[in-house]
Amino acid sequence: MNGVISVGMADYKTARSPDILLTAGLGSCIGICVHDPILKVGGMAHIMLPTANGSIGGNPAKYADTALELLLKEIAALGAIKSRLRAKIAGGAQMFSFPGKPPVLKIGDRNAEAVEHELKKNGIPILAADVGGSFGRTIHFDVGTGELRIRTIHHGEKVV
Amino acid sequence: MNVTQFQLDALREIGNIGSGHAATALSTLLQRRIEMSVPEVWAIPFEQVSAIVGQLDTTQAVVYVKVEGDAPGKAVFLFPVASAQIVVQALFGTDEARDLYTDEMAQSALKEVGNILVSSFLIALSQFSGIPLQPSVPALAIDMIGASLDAIFLEDGTLEDTVLFIDTQLSGIPEIEGQFIFLPDDGSLKKLLGAIGV
Repeated sequence: MNGVISVGMADYKTARSPDILLTAGLGSCIGICVHDPILKVGGMAHIMLPTANGSIGGNPAKYADTALELLLKEIAALGAIKSRLRAKIAGGAQMFSFPGKPPVLKIGDRNAEAVEHELKKNGIPILAADVGGSFGRTIHFDVGTGELRIRTIHHGEKVV
Repeated sequence: MNVTQFQLDALREIGNIGSGHAATALSTLLQRRIEMSVPEVWAIPFEQVSAIVGQLDTTQAVVYVKVEGDAPGKAVFLFPVASAQIVVQALFGTDEARDLYTDEMAQSALKEVGNILVSSFLIALSQFSGIPLQPSVPALAIDMIGASLDAIFLEDGTLEDTVLFIDTQLSGIPEIEGQFIFLPDDGSLKKLLGAIGV
């Protein structure tokens, strides 16, 4: 039996195959999934905002930059080799739009940019990015195979 | 900001007055009896919002209205899809089910319900506090509740460690459930509390 490990908002978890990581109801937030395909271990972070911007206190797992740092540290502690790590990301939607008032900087887009930037900075290739749109996503990540299953309410389900 | 017990009580009273008006408006609109819970005031990290709305990937209809004026904030009305369906049918005077995801008439009806609720809430709040407040145009999402709420709370690109909101359950006979959430911005809270002298 595979265990399903649930990752909350502003939370991160790691797992070993055959366990599955799950996070539910991503809107403008992003689920960052990282795994080492050889060792079959990985982790998931559910980030809410692009950057901690040096803010002290609060939960570092809220932000793309500080959450990824924590996640990578914990994945490394499981024995993963950084150069083998691969990433998949999902989320970053804009759920609401107000007529005549285009938001200047949509938070979903900013989150996606920040996550891509942080992964690149760490030299981790992004194999799949299912970001944007105007709908919520629930994601399941298999840390062994690297399969990311993305479920939506009205926009189908897919595996990337 | 830190909120004292006394201020929480004051906010609950604000919520009570506003939500009472909103419930009356809904009752008039739907020609049904609508009951209202005593509002709860929450000051919690947003990450714990599932304590209030339950499972984050259940589908709910969410009408989101921005509160503009001297004490800005956000107002959210959420209801399960089945209740949204009943509300739409009551408004159109029909038993025919509509596809809420695609039917634009049904969607505008839901937005209008949210608009009326939030407007009545704000009128009561303005009268009580003397602070002018206006609702924006309403926006609607029928989707995972966690996704809708994170988009609303994070929209401005910041998130306080503790968010404060006033939560009221509405229920109608038969079979309508809804939840009304009012979320004052950080600075607005001081203004609202100041205006009523606490």
